[in-house]
Amino acid sequence: MAATIEDLAQAVFDGDSRKAKKLSQKLLDAGEAPLDIINQGLMGGMSEVGVQFKAGTMFVPDVMAAAEAMSAGVELVKPLIAHEDIQSLGTVYMCTVKADLHDIGKNLVIMMLEGAGFNVINGGVDVAPEKIVEDVKELHPDIIGMSALLTTTMLHMKDTIELLKEEGLRDQVKVIIGGAPVSQDFADEIAADGYSPDAVSAADLAKSLVGAA
Amino acid sequence: MYRTRSLYTTAGFQVQQHLFWQMLTDDQCEAIVSTAEELLERTGVEVLSEAAVKVFEEAGCLVDGSRVRIPSTKIQWALRNAPSRVTLCDRKGNRAMMLENNEAHWGAGYTPTEYYDQEKEEKRPFTLADVEEFGKLAQMLPNIDFATQGGFPTDVDEAMAEVYAFKTLVKTTTKPIVQHVRGLAQAQPIYDMAVAVKGCAKELAFDPFVALHVSIEEPLQLSADALEVITFAAEKRLPVIVSNELVSGFTAPAESAGVMIVALANSFAALVLSQLVSEGTPFITGGFFTNNDTVNELHPVGSPEVSLLGGGFANILRYLRIPSYGFGGATDSKISDAQLGLESALSTLCAGVAGTNVIAGAGVFESGLASNPNLLVLVDEMACETERIMRGVEMDEDRLARGVIEYVQPAGNYLATKHTRYYFRSEQFWPTLMNRKRIDDWAAEGSLTLGQRTMNKTKSLLVAYSPKALKDDVVAELDKIAG
Repeated sequence: MAATIEDLAQAVFDGDSRKAKKLSQKLLDAGEAPLDIINQGLMGGMSEVGVQFKAGTMFVPDVMAAAEAMSAGVELVKPLIAHEDIQSLGTVYMCTVKADLHDIGKNLVIMMLEGAGFNVINGGVDVAPEKIVEDVKELHPDIIGMSALLTTTMLHMKDTIELLKEEGLRDQVKVIIGGAPVSQDFADEIAADGYSPDAVSAADLAKSLVGAA
Repeated sequence: MYRTRSLYTTAGFQVQQHLFWQMLTDDQCEAIVSTAEELLERTGVEVLSEAAVKVFEEAGCLVDGSRVRIPSTKIQWALRNAPSRVTLCDRKGNRAMMLENNEAHWGAGYTPTEYYDQEKEEKRPFTLADVEEFGKLAQMLPNIDFATQGGFPTDVDEAMAEVYAFKTLVKTTTKPIVQHVRGLAQAQPIYDMAVAVKGCAKELAFDPFVALHVSIEEPLQLSADALEVITFAAEKRLPVIVSNELVSGFTAPAESAGVMIVALANSFAALVLSQLVSEGTPFITGGFFTNNDTVNELHPVGSPEVSLLGGGFANILRYLRIPSYGFGGATDSKISDAQLGLESALSTLCAGVAGTNVIAGAGVFESGLASNPNLLVLVDEMACETERIMRGVEMDEDRLARGVIEYVQPAGNYLATKHTRYYFRSEQFWPTLMNRKRIDDWAAEGSLTLGQRTMNKTKSLLVAYSPKALKDDVVAELDKIAG
């Protein structure tokens, strides 16, 4: 039986990376447009995961599996898309802050942002405010996303925002934050542009900040 | 998944399949059993029914008026003949409760004459409408295994209260029903209704969806009412639960072993009678044991002694291979507070891990004076937590996880592994009432306490309930029996 876009979306939803990759290849072979494969198949499955996650019927391990399946397909299909056809919603610079090595949440957010159509730069872990500012100057992202798992390291988010102000860059870039100890109150306190409690809403938040939601 | 070797290289691997609170060793159980046997042989038991006395006498027991002395060999004969396991079915005939081994099952209470309205924080008389509410909740709650009347309805003819309660329950729920009766006056019409529901007596004996529950409240004395119910149930081959309701230092000795010995002697006398009337008839026993609170002159339902004595008695019955009955999920508190949570949780856990086959009492409030349906809803959650603990540490090649630990490597994280995705749902308890929300989310939902959340769940369960109606001709039949 011929593979359909719906089958591919289902494979992503099921978190089945091998099947997602196999079906993506089959659809390409059958002459399906690469953009449709990504937007309707891979991202289509992922957006259903997002809906279920918000409803509390799917959980982080499910989202991670689906995101991996989606990435496996995207990796295969993306090189075939003509550069000008790739519609990017903007560039997000993602990192885990200084003295903090936890990157699972950050990496999940990256997958979700990529799935949503952002170009993402992965700044890595243990990134000092000075390095973030340096990267902003060089790479000109639309949004900076910072992650922290510890109450001690989350304070570097504040330091980063202050340094951005000192360097006169604060109004050129939006700052969003996340991580277990972080809250909306903390985001307000340090004057970040947004906070999100999970990866799915992080993608929605980023979209709303670039006016794409 | 991440396997490191074959599943089939381990021979004779012994497991503790479920956690089990074995507080008494076989030697301790035997000491209690022997003492109860000796008591029945020497002191004997008062049997307040001539018909029952005759049954004992014909079987070779020593009879002196109403005093019956039972030879130990008769008890051992009865223990060999009574089934070690009893199955209760649901109303539709599906096998629902396996009363065997250390299988625990939970349900509500049956004695309180008042209903506690948690929202208004006030009490009012318990009515037939409240029986219906308890029936609906039993139907809707996944960890409540059987239905009971929840309390004693006061708005109907007192002599027939349990009969009306049963009629209400059987119309409301399909779950097995544990129906308390005081005597034959209630047992007979309830049996007739159960037969009407199943179509014929044979079907009911084959798929019993009701167990009659009768109490013994004196030491070494069986009332005429209790004896009649035990005899009747045996004749009809209907499961009977003989419940000792004894108070240490009052109707039983003031220490634990003595309470269990008196209770076991009562149970043995009832057991011998049931097996003499009909060999192999299903017999379940146990009880509600409490202490005498001499400060407040009452008998608590939430004391640790309730759990200790109940658990110990379940151990003895397990040793004897007789299905057990016990008590849990009740409180002495007068309001929805921490004491309510603490007492009901402790007793739910203890009765469960002691392997009590039938655990009644969920929702019993204010030392047994009132009944609170919200507590039943809360005990459902506790029973689920208890079952999680009882499930214990499962072990096989995949769960020993060597493969995935090697795959993740030191300082790694298991969140993104297939192993986690496979197990994270089944390996943890998923709360419906316990609050783990982040404080902002909790505040956004109104900063509700456990008591308030439980009330909301109770209300939504009652709204979501869909009728489990019987056929019109069956209902007409029930109305004819109990109009």
